[in-house]
Amino acid sequence: MPGSHAVEVVDLYKSFGNVEALRGVSLTVRPGEVTAIVGDNGAGKSTLIKCLSGYHAADGGRILLDGQEVRFGSPLDARRQGIETVYQDLALADELTVWQNIFLNRELTVGPRPLRLMRRRAMRTSAAQLVDSLAVSVPSVGKTVRRLSGGQRQAVAIARAVMWSSQLVIMDEPTAALGLRETAQVEDLIRRVVDQGTTVLVISHNFEQVMRLSQQVWVMRGGRVVSGHRTADVSGVELVAEVTGAREFS
Amino acid sequence: MLHDTRAGRLHRFARAASLEETWMKATAPAALVLAGIVFSMLSPYFATWRNVNGMLADAAIPVLLAVGMTFAVMLAGIDLSMAGTMALASVVFGLSYTAGWGLALSCLLSIGVGLVVGVVNGLFVGRVRIPDMIVTLGTMGLVQGIGLIVSRGIPVPVSDPVLQAVASSSLGPFRYNFLIVVLVVVVLHVMLTHMPVGTHLLSVGDNVEASKAMGLRVPRVKLIGYLVCGAMSGLAAVFMVLYVGSTQPATNTDYVMKAVAATVLGGTSLFGGRATIWGPALGAVLLTVVQTGLTMAGVEAFYEPAVVGVVVLAAASMMRGRR
Repeated sequence: MPGSHAVEVVDLYKSFGNVEALRGVSLTVRPGEVTAIVGDNGAGKSTLIKCLSGYHAADGGRILLDGQEVRFGSPLDARRQGIETVYQDLALADELTVWQNIFLNRELTVGPRPLRLMRRRAMRTSAAQLVDSLAVSVPSVGKTVRRLSGGQRQAVAIARAVMWSSQLVIMDEPTAALGLRETAQVEDLIRRVVDQGTTVLVISHNFEQVMRLSQQVWVMRGGRVVSGHRTADVSGVELVAEVTGAREFS
Repeated sequence: MLHDTRAGRLHRFARAASLEETWMKATAPAALVLAGIVFSMLSPYFATWRNVNGMLADAAIPVLLAVGMTFAVMLAGIDLSMAGTMALASVVFGLSYTAGWGLALSCLLSIGVGLVVGVVNGLFVGRVRIPDMIVTLGTMGLVQGIGLIVSRGIPVPVSDPVLQAVASSSLGPFRYNFLIVVLVVVVLHVMLTHMPVGTHLLSVGDNVEASKAMGLRVPRVKLIGYLVCGAMSGLAAVFMVLYVGSTQPATNTDYVMKAVAATVLGGTSLFGGRATIWGPALGAVLLTVVQTGLTMAGVEAFYEPAVVGVVVLAAASMMRGRR
């Protein structure tokens, strides 16, 4: 049924030398939902999202956005197709301000190409609007990112991704480095952006978080997707069993 | 309420941080005012317009090199080849001028030499990914050598009426060479703070991975930074010729140290990502003022490199504590 999925991954393969990181991965992401991928270290989660965000080119298989097959030669290609990624290490430049980070490499400008001047005020204003609209608790968009807390930085990274994505926001362990309270704030933010219509694909080690946030969950093991569930139909304990492969042996 | 105390702490932290930033930015201007007052007390001649104007003219080469160097330092790099490039560019300027190719072409060739060295530096740092220190040390030796081979080490006198006018005539109260330098500083300031490429340079200097993730072509951005360094070395060579009245095939590496000192005094982070153009420009003026003032106060010129060296170490240590 093409078109009913925001993203469809079909039989994706990727090897690094002798290591087969992905051995035929297939999954779907429904629009306007949080879809989670769980799996142990080395299950292939990171490789999969790097294929989706254009960092790696897959060796085989297809990626479809809204039913259309796409190929990414670079992260820029993926971004042009509306896929934004929130990286584990945040990908923010500490010495730049919040608004400079939000508009990094997508600056609003006036004038002809080689002598383009930045519309600093316009960028500042729309960054402030963005931050307000997502109810992100950032002191001021004119502050350098270095002065923000871990949760605020993650909020900026997510806000930036939401602003520029039209298809999908990928989040790689969005709360791994955060404390409890900040984790809760970031989860609230993720719920808000999904309510506003963004589609999210999240990798998480935190099963409770997956249960709290997602509507669909895919389990990866050994470079394959071994199962998929509506989150409401599965328990955390069952997911753990599937991730470790315990179910097959018991 | 928990939230309030937390917000209060954050607020205090932000205020302390911004004070610190202001302090870094204020170093060069504050020290400049202080030096002015001290030297005015030491020598009655210091605070005359004649002397001030002379110092501003003397500062032309250090300012050009400092703002150029800033473009390498904001990338968390350094360009050690600047003084050598300046020497080679002056030699090429002399060759072109004595061959009768005219002033304009000679100036362009001089800047062209700088751009070529900038391309080499930028490609080796950005694409081959060799540490900036090693690359520019290598090109420093190379350009120094070529300059000496081509010129046989002999300075060529250049007396051009236009160059002499730029060196000695004034528009209003200011000499032409000072005004040209101000223009260059303004252009580079616009480039850094009002053009996307400026943000990209700072971003790459701050966090290469983040910049890549945002689709910036890191080697290209680094190349642009080193091109600006090179262009400033080439332009400084023209100022050297008009200042000394001849080409200077021998490299004076003091210029490199001074440029780094001025850059650091101007609040540029040695770890990259934070820089202004006016800061290092003021830093270079400050160093020139101190040099002139010390001479007037009867301190031997031999002390100058030591003073600059102490400034570099002190400023860099202060910055070390910030990370």
